[in-house]
Amino acid sequence: MASARSPSALLGTFRAASHRPATAWRQRCSYHSQEYTQPPPFPPAESAILTSALSHVPSYGFTADALRLGARDAGYMDVSTNLLPRGVFDLINYHLVTQRLALKSTVQFPSTGDQGKKLGTGAKVRTLTLARLRANEPLIHRWQEALAIMAQPSYASTSLAELARLADEIWYLAGDESVDSSWYTKRASLSAIYSATEVFMTQDKSKNFIETEQFLDSRLGDVMKMGGFIGALSEWADYTAHSAVNVLRSKGMRV
Amino acid sequence: MPSALLPARSLARAAVRSAQHPVSECIAPCRMARPRRRFHSTPANPVQSSPTKRSVAAAIPQDHAEHSDITTPHNTAAGTPVQPLSQEQHDFLDSALRVNQAGELAAVLIYAAQTPPLLRAHPHLKGLMKHMHDQEVGHFRYFNSILAKHRIRPTAMYPVWHAAATVLGWGTAVIGKEAAMACTEAVETEIGTHYNEQVRVLLDWADKLEARGETLGEELTVLIEELRRIRDEELEHLDHAVENDSKEAKPYELLTNVIRGGCRTAIWISEKV
Repeated sequence: MASARSPSALLGTFRAASHRPATAWRQRCSYHSQEYTQPPPFPPAESAILTSALSHVPSYGFTADALRLGARDAGYMDVSTNLLPRGVFDLINYHLVTQRLALKSTVQFPSTGDQGKKLGTGAKVRTLTLARLRANEPLIHRWQEALAIMAQPSYASTSLAELARLADEIWYLAGDESVDSSWYTKRASLSAIYSATEVFMTQDKSKNFIETEQFLDSRLGDVMKMGGFIGALSEWADYTAHSAVNVLRSKGMRV
Repeated sequence: MPSALLPARSLARAAVRSAQHPVSECIAPCRMARPRRRFHSTPANPVQSSPTKRSVAAAIPQDHAEHSDITTPHNTAAGTPVQPLSQEQHDFLDSALRVNQAGELAAVLIYAAQTPPLLRAHPHLKGLMKHMHDQEVGHFRYFNSILAKHRIRPTAMYPVWHAAATVLGWGTAVIGKEAAMACTEAVETEIGTHYNEQVRVLLDWADKLEARGETLGEELTVLIEELRRIRDEELEHLDHAVENDSKEAKPYELLTNVIRGGCRTAIWISEKV
């Protein structure tokens, strides 16, 4: 009866270790501080299974098979994959979260560039976005499956939230410190650009994804142009309003 | 007053109590079904206790040591452990600091909009207006840097507050000096109360942690000091407004109550979005 007992014992330990609500709140942590060490985003058992499952994705796709093989590789029984309540989506989510958190260590910006001048925020955003896209490279031929699963109604909100966190992470790592309305427009436009480029990349057959890079550059250029136009427009409106008020004041109106 | 004070105290205490068991919270947060609480308390209770005695915390309790692989309270230079904040504390800091930034934005814009019409009629107020405006700009910069540092999102109503504050400042200044000062009085009363509540909650956390031989950590200790300084400067503006005949504004009750109600609504909205 040992074999009958061990799954339940495993189930117990796994359940205790897999504290999903805690995982959920850690991901939406609002107040960040360098003073406190951030706990790992996934419990050890879960991350062991999912890490090895990811290595099976290139050949088996984002399927229950990959999860099962991953669990086997990590030394757990096949049945333990049932403890991931969202199944394959948990695998995708694991990839998204770990790659987002990995950006901090994979992309390092020198304090001064080659020509002794600092890299601008725009260039940093481009580098970080490319680095994140490149992290999909090993799975890119399977990524459309992942996109389809992410777009399912029950997972769409989680996926969008993760996209927003990625955009936030990129702007934060790029050293952007604006805390006004542009905080929202920046993150929204980067999210749109990133998801569009991600879809483009799944169909990119060019060498070293050079076309994806061009696609990203032109989208970033569009936003830059648009932002410049809106900036000029609001500057003009501001100037006109001030002039109007000053004309009224010069006429002796008490405004 | 103590009876009115009680619920706020117990709320803050409850938050700290939950922070005392961060380990169990990590293991089974779903089992400790806690409703999301807001740290609201009654106004008009200035904080008197001093935070300076916090530095003498000595003994380090090791009751969480066996779980140190889950939550690692790392040590400061002084050797006192800094406990990670609970989710409620995160939420509180998140919304409180967001409100502070929105409030300082509004304050800067109110003074900026009041200044031209007011100085036209009363040029002798130039020094005072400049002094108050500059202090508000300093506060605004401070909270901007805090928001960027701790990755707190600014309020989504930013453009709305921008417009509302400009209209409020300009409108009251056009009515007259007394109305402008009544506006300042009403706004600074609300803001001062709001800062007082925050300082009280943070000091309560600090006291609870200190009782267990731990500290809030460098950042929050500095934050408390800054909040107290800023609150004192806001209350100084309140005094200036009263000195400059704010009480003689024509529909005084109506004006101040409408503005104070507006401030409270704006604070409530900014906490949420």
